Amino acid sequence: MPEYTVVGQPIPKRDAVEKATGRAQYIQDINLPGMLYGKILYSKYPHARIVHIDTTRAQKLQGVRAILTGKDIPEIKLGVYQDNRPLKTDKVRSYRDEVAAVAATDPDIAREALSLIEVSYEALPCVFDPEAAMHAEAPLVHVKHRTNILKMPWKLHFGDVDAAQATAAHVIKERFSTTWVTHCCLSTSGAIAEFDHANNLTIYTNTQIPSLAQKDFLNALTAMGLKNRRVRVIKPVIGGGFGSKLDTYAYEHIAILLAFKTRKPVKLVFDREEEFIATSTRQPALIDISQGCDRDGKLVFRDVAMILDNGAYTSWGATTPSVMMMPITTLYQVPNVRYEATCVYTNNTYSQAMRGYGNPQATFAIESAMDLLAETAGIDPVTFRHINANKPNQVSPQGFRITTCGLKECIDAVTEQLAWGRPKATGEGVGIASLIHVGGGARVYKSDGCGTIIKLDDYGGANVFTGASDMGQGADTVIAQIVAEELALPIEDVRVIHTDTDVCPWDVGAHASRTTFVAGNSALGAARKLKQQILELASNHLEAPPEILALQNRQVICREDPGQRIPIDKLLRKAHFSVGGTMLTAEHFYDPANENLDREFKGNLSMTYTFGAHGVRVRVDQETGKVEILNYVAAHDVGRAINPLLLKGQVYGGVMMGIGYALTEQVVLDKGQTMNPNFRDYKILTAKDTVPIQAPVLETHDPYGPFGAKGIGEPGCVPSAPAIANAVYDAVGVRIKDLPLTPEKVLAALKLKKKHTPPH
Amino acid sequence: MSKEITFQLNHNDLTLAVQEHWTLLHLLREELGLLGTKEGCGSGECGACTVIIDGMAINACLYLAAEADGKEILTIEGLAAPDGTLNPLQQSFITNGGIQCGFCSPGMLLAAKALLDENPNPSEDEIKHALAGNICRCTGYVQIIDSIKAACAPKNEDVKVVAWQTKP
Amino acid sequence: MKKFRHLTPQTLDEAISLHESYRDRARYIAGGTDVLIKIKTGQVAPDYLISLKHILGQDRPLFNQETGELFIGAFVTHRRIEQSATVRRRYPILHDAVKNIGSVQIRNVATIGGNLVNAVPSADGAIPLIVLDAVAKIYGPKGLRSIELLHFFQGPGQTVLEGSEILTEIVIPALQPRTGSAYIKFGRRNAMELPLLGVGVLISLEDDHVTCAKARIGLGVAAPTPIRAHEAERFLTGQAVTSDTLAAAGRIAAEESRVRDSIRGVAWFRRDMVNVLVKRMGHKCLERIEQKE
Repeated sequence: MPEYTVVGQPIPKRDAVEKATGRAQYIQDINLPGMLYGKILYSKYPHARIVHIDTTRAQKLQGVRAILTGKDIPEIKLGVYQDNRPLKTDKVRSYRDEVAAVAATDPDIAREALSLIEVSYEALPCVFDPEAAMHAEAPLVHVKHRTNILKMPWKLHFGDVDAAQATAAHVIKERFSTTWVTHCCLSTSGAIAEFDHANNLTIYTNTQIPSLAQKDFLNALTAMGLKNRRVRVIKPVIGGGFGSKLDTYAYEHIAILLAFKTRKPVKLVFDREEEFIATSTRQPALIDISQGCDRDGKLVFRDVAMILDNGAYTSWGATTPSVMMMPITTLYQVPNVRYEATCVYTNNTYSQAMRGYGNPQATFAIESAMDLLAETAGIDPVTFRHINANKPNQVSPQGFRITTCGLKECIDAVTEQLAWGRPKATGEGVGIASLIHVGGGARVYKSDGCGTIIKLDDYGGANVFTGASDMGQGADTVIAQIVAEELALPIEDVRVIHTDTDVCPWDVGAHASRTTFVAGNSALGAARKLKQQILELASNHLEAPPEILALQNRQVICREDPGQRIPIDKLLRKAHFSVGGTMLTAEHFYDPANENLDREFKGNLSMTYTFGAHGVRVRVDQETGKVEILNYVAAHDVGRAINPLLLKGQVYGGVMMGIGYALTEQVVLDKGQTMNPNFRDYKILTAKDTVPIQAPVLETHDPYGPFGAKGIGEPGCVPSAPAIANAVYDAVGVRIKDLPLTPEKVLAALKLKKKHTPPH
Repeated sequence: MSKEITFQLNHNDLTLAVQEHWTLLHLLREELGLLGTKEGCGSGECGACTVIIDGMAINACLYLAAEADGKEILTIEGLAAPDGTLNPLQQSFITNGGIQCGFCSPGMLLAAKALLDENPNPSEDEIKHALAGNICRCTGYVQIIDSIKAACAPKNEDVKVVAWQTKP
Repeated sequence: MKKFRHLTPQTLDEAISLHESYRDRARYIAGGTDVLIKIKTGQVAPDYLISLKHILGQDRPLFNQETGELFIGAFVTHRRIEQSATVRRRYPILHDAVKNIGSVQIRNVATIGGNLVNAVPSADGAIPLIVLDAVAKIYGPKGLRSIELLHFFQGPGQTVLEGSEILTEIVIPALQPRTGSAYIKFGRRNAMELPLLGVGVLISLEDDHVTCAKARIGLGVAAPTPIRAHEAERFLTGQAVTSDTLAAAGRIAAEESRVRDSIRGVAWFRRDMVNVLVKRMGHKCLERIEQKE
């Protein structure tokens, strides 16, 4: 007998039918009357002074309605460091810098107009290596900062690392590096901006942060001299997010500026090449890590220093250290931890949020280092992890209050399903890596909240207005399930609306795998209030106190006398259609009781943490260096699987993204220029690259999650790279410390090993 | 620069004038208002624009509208029956998690249909081979392949495709 | 996309006559998967596209039982070749290569002729045909001519075709008895790959089932055009085909290759892979000979 009716069921995604029939409207599919098309002209140099821009020939092209350059627009500051502008004025600092923009009556004309804009540049010396950019003599990317090193606070030290290092029995020290990869959303980026007669803005845009985007656009309007205007953000159906929509972009602001100039709606949609070149990437990292343990294998310290290539402008990439701290201080029990991250400007592309937000990079280094340390200490890597695994109800040095924790069980599930101890053929190896991720929100902003409003109609149907965002991951469905469960309604009677800031309450955004937890709790809170209202209404009608009434299958029943019952819809109509009638609505703004990190980065960032372990069995072809994955087990402690079907979808998708990160994906930048801006040369995995994946789900029933659930959106891609790197080492004895693990790197390492191995 | 073509689109006969440089994708989306077929890359590398022409899965972004003359073309809008009954593939994708963001789904469904029309009981390798040209970033392909397998299962067989386990 | 006129001649002569009239302003188009991309990216900007799709001809590979030759019309799609039981059985090297060109969607329209005329160094279509000693038949204003496919390519994107000439057919001569052939495309993922390297091998054995009567080794992306590793072929011919001789042939072929660095792969690795894959494909040829018997 299942515990719940709807929660825990593999309910199909609520909008799957529209998507399966071609009815879903993505940004590309929206057309407004009188709409113009915007296109952006990008820089021809990685670093140059803009000497002159001549738009006269472009202006004369029939169909061109507006051309904007940096001089034509007010100062709108973009990015977390406010160092970016929608259109550049004096300098370009990377190939993706926006130099001019055109609005025309059709996209081909807009494109042609771009080719008629003449820009003269004076090339400046460039810097593409972050370590080189740190030197005093390096060319300055932002002259007014007088240094390429960003003023960022990423420095923490808990305990005494130096003392611990001095007394540790075993110490390892290594450098690891990760490079740029990109989201590859199947829908390219785009926005449509439109002003009304009173200069209020409506913008249709692919965003994961509708409320914060609204704020950014209000700031833009203020800069444009439009104070006290309204901004309405409408989300079309979004064709993929993965963190790419976690910031507002230059192109959105350009669409707004063009719409304001032309007084017409302006649609700006990227083509695929533009998507590769001009959207942000995952933050690359140079990671120096040192770890030590005592004679019994207990970790005594972890010391990490990172250099992050910040690219030309600052977006969320420079804040990934705030999340990297999580695995650094809290993955496994480590009493003494030190971490410092330096972000450096270069003339490369800039990074922002991508699934995992720094966790995959940090975990690659940490979990590879765990295996190295285990080997040095002479301890089996699985045993080593068990010795140091986090346990429930602990507090980490960073102040993270771990509630539920199924890490040990996940490690066991992996070793069991992978048949860890089974004899291996030549070239075969197994590897494991664990993960921790925030699972109950993440207080990275002043608010980590989400609001929900639920209204009931005359037929017992519920409309749920949520601030949450769905990009395909299933927020719409999970929220519907939670409300349906609480109100004992069939899922078909619950409609979730999340698309419009004029209608939906505030939410900080779909990030940090927080939607099920935070938006779920918010919806649950509103549903509980509504339930109370229904029971009170019914109490009058059934002449029984609310305490002995219950909701069951669209009815209110009396627990003690089930014959006493009334259908909810009848109850609602009775209440509505009478003198002095009422209709029921409830709202709940849930802001979890987590904490902002203090100046020393201490604090309980999340209400709960998701744990997991990935294990992989590989076969390395020692003549070609190719790594073949024979089996992949991804075990996660999710608290409760509200929807096992969609949850698995997140895990499988995350794992394939993680495997791509580990083995094949990389944005190739050559002196700042993207050399592979297409699906042919950017090696995203295809259906023929799938591997057997098992995804055991462990339920630890978190006390704070809705029905016990924790987040799962990101964990699926976090430990894939180290699990694979560890397996390759187990298979053929070579340690690859630089992602991706290409055949060339593996083969070169094998040859080097052979050279240095004395013959028997 | 225009040509008159006659073809069958989603079981309906159509005669219209097309500009000779139009791709089929442009004709469908910009001229006929059939927005279900998506542009993912415009260069035949992602399969989001897959349609079925004379039984063959083809990328509409690299197919000239003029060449549609005399052909039978099926787009996602024509996959369900005229009365709205979903095709078993559509139903299976919906039930088995084959759709997340959905952008690749029209192309994926049509590539799958072209496969099953030619090979009603494909092996897993044959399914992967047929879908090799359809990129998906959300699902990792697992539940897509499961959905196709489930759609092939004989009607009287209760196929439990969602193979997951929960530890108590 | 740039505007153009789309012309649909019904015969080769008509096509040639149109091309002669429009000269540099015209371009032939077969399946379109290469030409349309070039137009979209602005690489070429023809005013006229002369479609070769409507010219009646073979729509599938035809095997002549008497002569043992295989005829493949230039406008046959890769998909038709992939689905041909004859090709799969008799010329597995061609099946190996063709089934992984692009995707099903691409193969349903892209033609073998179009692929050859596009003349990219990766040439998944070209290598197996070269290894099978294919001959290209060309038709032009001056009539018909043929040339060994190996000599059809002059450089990246360049073939021997002049002016309005059209590649019309590929003819594969009869195979010797006890012949096995195999092709491998080396890439980073299992589909949608422009390979780092393509290796095709054909081995025919003498009636002692050990000595090599004929060896062909074709390499793609190992030079600006598809090439054969002649020295490695000469080395194997007349020798017993064993693990050692195949390994040696691999090493010789690697030395002969003229690989270079590109964003798709570095030279030293490609050279190593020539070595490894020639050897492996050689073994596969032997397996296939054995399977047939």
